[in-house]
Amino acid sequence: EAPALELPLVDAANSIQTVCLQCNTGCGLKVKLIDGVAAKLEGNPYSPWTMEPPLPFSTPISASGSIDGALCPKGHAGIQTAYDPYRLMRVLKRKPGTPRGGGQWITIDFDQAITEIVEGGDLFGEGPVEGLRALYALKDAKLAKEMANAVNAILAARPEEKPALVEQFKRDFADHLDVLIDPDHPDLGPKNNQFAFVWGRLKNGRGDLVQRFVKKGFGSVNANGHTTVCQGSLYFTGKAMSEQFDPKTGKFSGGQKFYWQADLGNAEFVIFVGTNHFEANYGPTPQSPRITQGVINSRLRYVVLDPRLSKLASKAWKWLPIKPGTDAAFAMAMIRWIIEQQRYNTRFLAAANKAAAAANGEPSWTNATWLVKVKDGVPGKFLRASEIGLTTVVEETDAEGKKTKAYVTADGTRFSFDPFVALVNGVPTPIDPNDPEAAPVIGDLLVDTELNGIAVKSSLQVIYEAASTHTIEEWAAIADVKAEDIIEIAYEFTSHGTRAVADIHRGPSQHTNGFYTNFAFYTLNALIGNFDHRGGLIKPTTYDRLGTKAKGPFEVEKMTNGANVPFGIDLLRTNTAYEKSTLFNGYPARRPWFPLATDVYQEDIPSMGDAYPYQIKVAMFYMSAINYALPAAQTTIEILADPKKIPLIITSDVMVGETSTYADYIFPDLSFLERWEFHGSHPSVPWKVENIRQPAISLPNWPTVKVFGEEIPLSFEALVLAIAERLELPGFGPNGFGEGIPFTRPEHLYLKLAANIAFGEKEDGSDGVPPADYAELEVFRRARRFLPPSVFDEAKWRAAIGNDEQLWRQTVYVLNRGGRYQAYEKGWKGDLAGNPYAKQINLYQEKTATTINSMTGDHLIGYPTYIPAGLAADGTPIVDEGYDLHLVTYKEAMMAKARGIADYWLLALMPENAILINRLDAERLGLRNGDRVRISSASNPDGVWDLQNGTRKPMIGKVKVIEGIRPGVISFPLGWGHFASGASDIVIDGVTIPADPRRAAGIHANAAMRVDPVLGNVTLSDLVGGSAVFYDTKVKLERVG
Amino acid sequence: MTRQPTIPLTPVSRRGLLGALVAGAGALAAASVQAGLPASTGKSADTIDVLSPEEALAAYEAEIARLRATKVSGTPLDHLERMRAELLRALAKPVAERRWVMVIDLRACVGCHGCTIACVAENKLPPGVVYRPVIDEEIGRYPNVTRRFIPRPCMQCDNPPCTGVCPVSATFTNEHGVVEVDYEQCIGCRACIAACPYGARTFDFGYTYTADTTDPGVMFGADQAATYETVTTFEYGKAHARRNLHDSPVGNVRKCHFCMHRVLNGQLPACVTTCIGRATFFGDANDPDSLVSELIAKPNVMRLKEDLGTEPRVYYLQ
Repeated sequence: EAPALELPLVDAANSIQTVCLQCNTGCGLKVKLIDGVAAKLEGNPYSPWTMEPPLPFSTPISASGSIDGALCPKGHAGIQTAYDPYRLMRVLKRKPGTPRGGGQWITIDFDQAITEIVEGGDLFGEGPVEGLRALYALKDAKLAKEMANAVNAILAARPEEKPALVEQFKRDFADHLDVLIDPDHPDLGPKNNQFAFVWGRLKNGRGDLVQRFVKKGFGSVNANGHTTVCQGSLYFTGKAMSEQFDPKTGKFSGGQKFYWQADLGNAEFVIFVGTNHFEANYGPTPQSPRITQGVINSRLRYVVLDPRLSKLASKAWKWLPIKPGTDAAFAMAMIRWIIEQQRYNTRFLAAANKAAAAANGEPSWTNATWLVKVKDGVPGKFLRASEIGLTTVVEETDAEGKKTKAYVTADGTRFSFDPFVALVNGVPTPIDPNDPEAAPVIGDLLVDTELNGIAVKSSLQVIYEAASTHTIEEWAAIADVKAEDIIEIAYEFTSHGTRAVADIHRGPSQHTNGFYTNFAFYTLNALIGNFDHRGGLIKPTTYDRLGTKAKGPFEVEKMTNGANVPFGIDLLRTNTAYEKSTLFNGYPARRPWFPLATDVYQEDIPSMGDAYPYQIKVAMFYMSAINYALPAAQTTIEILADPKKIPLIITSDVMVGETSTYADYIFPDLSFLERWEFHGSHPSVPWKVENIRQPAISLPNWPTVKVFGEEIPLSFEALVLAIAERLELPGFGPNGFGEGIPFTRPEHLYLKLAANIAFGEKEDGSDGVPPADYAELEVFRRARRFLPPSVFDEAKWRAAIGNDEQLWRQTVYVLNRGGRYQAYEKGWKGDLAGNPYAKQINLYQEKTATTINSMTGDHLIGYPTYIPAGLAADGTPIVDEGYDLHLVTYKEAMMAKARGIADYWLLALMPENAILINRLDAERLGLRNGDRVRISSASNPDGVWDLQNGTRKPMIGKVKVIEGIRPGVISFPLGWGHFASGASDIVIDGVTIPADPRRAAGIHANAAMRVDPVLGNVTLSDLVGGSAVFYDTKVKLERVG
Repeated sequence: MTRQPTIPLTPVSRRGLLGALVAGAGALAAASVQAGLPASTGKSADTIDVLSPEEALAAYEAEIARLRATKVSGTPLDHLERMRAELLRALAKPVAERRWVMVIDLRACVGCHGCTIACVAENKLPPGVVYRPVIDEEIGRYPNVTRRFIPRPCMQCDNPPCTGVCPVSATFTNEHGVVEVDYEQCIGCRACIAACPYGARTFDFGYTYTADTTDPGVMFGADQAATYETVTTFEYGKAHARRNLHDSPVGNVRKCHFCMHRVLNGQLPACVTTCIGRATFFGDANDPDSLVSELIAKPNVMRLKEDLGTEPRVYYLQ
C-alpha cells in the first residue's frame, strides 16, 4: 500500500551532495531541501565516510534519494551554522576613534572597504595606515627571479662570504632597493612579504585561490596555516620520515607534510595513543563503526593510552591512564622488549632499498640497516661508501661536456652518487636507495663496529641503544604504568603479523617532545613492518584536482597571465636555516626558527608583535580563531589590540568571531553549506577520493557584490577578486587563466578543479567518470532551482569549463555525487594497501641530525628517543611550584573547537562544559561535583583572559568529579567559554547587537596554559615538530563563590 | 520528469520508494557504462524507471548478495544497507504481518548523541523536547572504571501505560504498532508524561532555539534563522507547519514514533541511519531472516523494566 504521505525529501532532486565542515573529517553530506531551505542533513551515501561500503559510485543519482548515510551530531547541526542569527551580512569597519577590541563598528560599503584596505590613508583617525598597494612593491617577475637567485647565493654562502655578497646585491640592484624590506638583509625579501595571510581552516580550492592570490599574485611568501595547533608535530614527523634521498643533490628532500594512520577496518590489535576516534580525530563517523563492529565480531581488540577515560577507552581491552608527556617512554620500552625478544619483522627491516623491498613484495622500506657514523658517542651522518674505500670516485665528462662524478665499486658497479652502506653478512655493501633496478640489499640489522677507523652503527642499533637507556621497569616508572602491561601489550602487538598498529594523533604530538614521541611510535610500527599493509598503517590518496597528472583538461597552476616570484625568509622562519640567514647573530636566536616545520600557527602573532624577522603591515586572517584556539592565546590578544604592532588587520569571517573582534575590517563569508571547496582525504581512508564541497543553499537576502563586472555573492572570493582587480594582480581578471580565459567568478576556478577530478589522471581520458545522462542532468538542475543566478547559472558554469559537453556531463556526474570515490574493493590489494605510500621510511634521519636548534645551537637528534616534556624554548625544564594539577584538554563529539558555538541543538546537550577531576583530587581539595573553581597557572596567576578592552574574563568553570581520569590530571573539553562569536555585546552603527548568554557559557582555560618563560609572548612549542603545546601545563584550582 | 516540485508537498509519484528499490538495479546497469562514452548515453529519465518494483527488488537483492560476497574488509556490507533491504522486503507485506522492533547494542554505542540530534533535526524538536536522549554513565572506581552509554527512545510498548490515561484518546497504538500522538486531539494535559515509566514523553511549549537572539539587518537575525526551525516536518505521515497552530505539534505532548513517515517511504528511522557506531537496529521481527530477528535471539538481550509488563518493542544488547 502507498504510504500516507510521500516525502519530498526522498526525491533526489530535492537534495545536493556536498561535504561537511563542522569539523575537518570531511564526511559526505546530503543536504535535503524544502523550497531551498536546508531541512535536514544526512550522510552522503556515495561517500565512504558515511557507509562502508558506500553506494556503488555508478548508482544513478535518481536512485539515491531515499538512501542516507550516517552522520555525527555536529554534522546534523551544520544547519545551525548556516542559519545562525549572528551570521554577519555587511562589511564592518572598526569605528574610527575607538580601540581595537572595543566592540564598536560601523557598516561600510564593500567597494569603499576595498578602496580603504588597498589604498590606505588615515583610516581610523590614528594617523596614516599603509594599504596593500604600498606593499605590492615588487611586481616585475624577472627582477624578482634575479633577486631571488642572488638571495639564494647569499644563503648558501659561508658566513664570512655573506657581507660581500650583500654588498654585491646592493650594487647589482641599486635601482630597486626600495622594493626590499631591508637592503642590508636582502634575504628578508621584498616589501610584499609584509602582507601576511593567516588561515585557520582552509581547504583546497580556496587554498588554491590563496596560493594564487598571496604568492603568485601578490608576491608574498607569507601564506601560513594553522597546522601546529592541531597535530603539527605529527605532520612534521611524517615529513622527516618521508624525506627521500636525491642522488642529484646528495641530500634528503621532498618529505611530505603528512602522516600515516591505522587501517582500522582491518586491524586486529591497535594501540591508540592520545587519539579519540569516538569524539574527535578523523573522525567519529567513519572510524566508530570500524572499531565497534571489530570489537563485537572479535576481529579487534585495543589499548588506549590516555590520562582520561575517553569514550574510546570505555570499550578498550586495556585503558592505561599514562602520565601526560611520557608516551615515548612507553614506546621506547616496547621497542626495547621487541628487539631483545627478537619479535620484530626481520624481512621488512632488513630490506635496505627499494629493490630489496620489491623482492619481498613490500611497497616500502626503511633505512634500519644503514650504517651511521658515530663520533664521540653521537650518531651523525650516514656512512658513504667512498669513506671506507668501498667505492672510488671517477671524474667523467658526459656527452654534453659536463663534468660529473661517478662512484665505482671494485666489481665495477657504478653509482651517480656516493652510496650508503650496510653490512650484509658482515660485508660492507653499497646501497642505492631508490633505483628499482639496483642490487637488492638485505642488510644486517644490529651492527656496532668500526670500519676503516670509523665507528659505525646500524640505524636499528642506534634505536636499540636509545631504547636501552632504561630498563622496562624504569620506562614503566617514568610513564607510571605497569611493566607487565607494557610487556603484555608488546607481546600482543607482535602477535598479529602486520595487522597490529599503533595509532597516534594529537595527544602525543602537542607536547614539547611531540616530534620524538611520534617518531618512537612510528618506529614501533616499522618494527612489525605494517606500513602499507591491510590493517596496518596507510596514507591518504586523492584525485588530482590540479590537472597535473593528466596534463589537463585544466593545468590550473600553469594557467595564468603572469605570476609573481615570491622570495625571502617567511614570517615563521620555516623555509630557511637560521645559520644561513643574514640575521644570524649567535645563539639563541631572537625567536625560534623551524627548518623542519611549516605553518607554525603560534608564531604568527608573536612574530608580528616582535617584528621578527620583519614587521607585518597588513595581516589578513581567514576562518581563524587564533586568539581563542591557541594555548596561552591571551598573549596574542595584547599584540592584536595594538595597531602600532600590526597596522592593519582584515578578517574574513561568518560572524564577529574571536579574531574578528580585533580586526579593522571584517568581510562576511559564506558558510560551508554555501560555498566551494575540495576537502581531500585523510590517512585513515584507504581509497583514492576527492570530496567536493559545493553550494547547496543560499541564505535569503544574502548580499551580492560586483567584481570584474560580475555579480557574485559577498564572500571570501569576492574579497580576493576585488583586491586582485584593484591591484591588477596576475592570475586574475578577464585573462586570469590565460588569454581570453577569465577568472572573474568563483566557479571559474572551482569548476575547473571539479572537471579535472571528473576527467581523471590519464591523458587519454580513460580514467574519467561516465558522463551524466539526461536524468542525471535533470536532477542536477532541479536540485539547484532555488539557488540564485549569482550562485548557479548553468550557462556560466558550462562556460567555466570551456563549454565542452562531454566534460560538463562528467563534471555533473561527479557533482551529483559530492565528489569522486574509488571503488570500495580498490582500497586493498590482497594483504597490502591499495594506495600505498611505497617509498623509504627514515628510521634514522640524517637531515634532522644535521639540523641545528636555533635556540641552543645544539644539533637535533636523528633517531627516536624519549625527552621529558614541558621544556622552555632554551631546553630547560619548567618547574611551577604550587601548581600541582596537570591540565589537558579533550573534545566532545557534540562540540567543535571554535565554531560549534552557533549550534544550539548541540549546546542544549551540554549547555556548559566542566573541568573533569578525579574523585581523589576532589576530596583532597575539598571540591564537590558542580563547585565553581578558578583555574590559574604560574604564567596566568590571576586566571583571567585579559581582552585588552577593559574586560578581564575570569577562567571560572564547574568541576565534574569523576573516576575516569588519572589523579593529578584535570581536563576540559574545548569549544565553550567564548568571548566573541555572539558571546559579547557589540555595537554596530550605534545599535547594540545583544550577546546570547548561551554562547558565553562554560570555560575556556587555554589562557592558563604555560607561556614560554624565555620568549614571554607565546605558548610552549615543540621546536622540532612545531606543535603548540596544550598538555604540559601545571595549574591549580580554587573554589569561588 | 514531468512534475514541478517547487512546492514542498507535491506528490512524488512513488519515486521515493521506487528510487530506493532501483538503487541496486541502477548500480548494476550503470556498471556496464564505460568511461569515455559519447556525450549522450541516450538514456532518459523514463528509462531509469522501467523496472517493476518486483524486478527492482530482485536486482537490489542481487547487488546486496554481490557486496556480501565481496569480503574485502571486516564489514562486507554496511548494516544500514542490509536493514534497508529488509525494510523494503517488509513493506511488501501487509501491514498486519509486520512487527517493527528496535534493537540497541550498548557495546556499539559510542555515546556521540548523533541519534539525539538526528531526531531533533528530523522532527524539528524545539527546546525541551527530546525523543531520544542518551544516558552517559560511569561504572567502577579508578583505575578499574568504564563508561556506558544508553540511548533511550520510546519503547513503543505493546502494553503502553501512557495511552489509557489520555482523557481524549489522543494517544493510542496505531496500525504499525507505534504509540502515536494525534496533535489535533491532544489537549496538552500531560497525564501521559507522568504515566510513562521510561520518561519518553516531553511537552512542546512552542519555543524556538533562535528566538530572542538578534535582529536582522547587519546580522542574519532571529526571524530568518528560524526558517529551518519552522520548516515542514512529516511526523505520523502528515505535513506539519510549525507556524500553523491548529495541527502543529506546538502545545502537545510529543514522543518518538519510530519515524514511521520515513519507514513507509523506504527509509530507516533517523536515529538508525545516523548511528555512527552502528548500535541501533530496526526492522521486522516477523521476518526470521532479518537482522533484528537475529539480534533479539542473542543471549545478551534484555529490555528495560520488563517487570512492569509493558512489553517494550525496544531491545538492548549488552
